[in-house]
Amino acid sequence: MITSAEAIDRLKTRIGVDGPEVTAPVEAGHVRRFVEAIGDPNPRWTREVPPTFLVALAPVSVHLSDAEEYGKGWLNGGNRFEYFAPVMIGDEITLKGRVVDVYDKAGSSGNMLFIIFETDYTNQRGELVAKVRGTMIRR
Amino acid sequence: MSVQVGQEIPELVKDPTTRQLVQYAGAQGDFYEIHYDQAYAKSVGLPGVILHGLLKAAFLGQLVTDWLGDRGTLENFEVSYRGVDMPGHPYRCRGQVTRVDGRDVELEVWGEDEEGKRTTLGTATVQMRA
Repeated sequence: MITSAEAIDRLKTRIGVDGPEVTAPVEAGHVRRFVEAIGDPNPRWTREVPPTFLVALAPVSVHLSDAEEYGKGWLNGGNRFEYFAPVMIGDEITLKGRVVDVYDKAGSSGNMLFIIFETDYTNQRGELVAKVRGTMIRR
Repeated sequence: MSVQVGQEIPELVKDPTTRQLVQYAGAQGDFYEIHYDQAYAKSVGLPGVILHGLLKAAFLGQLVTDWLGDRGTLENFEVSYRGVDMPGHPYRCRGQVTRVDGRDVELEVWGEDEEGKRTTLGTATVQMRA
């Protein structure tokens, strides 16, 4: 078990460094399974993707396994989605992610490690369609 | 239909089940055990399996897009998870208009449990069509 200070230092070296690009097609069957899972029957989602679908497109290319040496479980603190253009079924989206901040904080139930990451989503025409930011917490 | 500050948007009540959590885990590709394995969830100090934060975000996204329809475009959507929610309990999604500036409209949205506790807080910014 490494100390939490070591885990934080290791994670901090990744701040601002882009992870590898991942390209994924927006498949009709995947979008259908996603909207069935969230229970949103809007017919619009047979052409376009619903607001939070981007997180399901492909695993984020930022690896957070170093953080798993801190605490015993993950919590999702929050997400922010910025949309610049619609994402349509049939699009081919390239994801590029990075850690933007790492810090720890004392909480009522012990220390918590916060990792803020963001992912850029670009379509097959090179247009930035969305940015998603997430706060993952280890405690 | 005019949009005014203070207006509440139509609520959306969801009845998540453990089955839905498994379905969502598969659709999102998030196989963290706290969402389907009771023993694992308890071993990390949770009362049992809990809803994915992003599933609650999806519910709030639906709340906004159901209200908006084709009258505008969602530009920004932000959610903060403040508490855990368990399957087998209704999850009530609500929202109200907090700012109107020409075509730009801001909404406060939230998800509440059976006791009315707001376990997910969020904001959405939309631009209405001209």
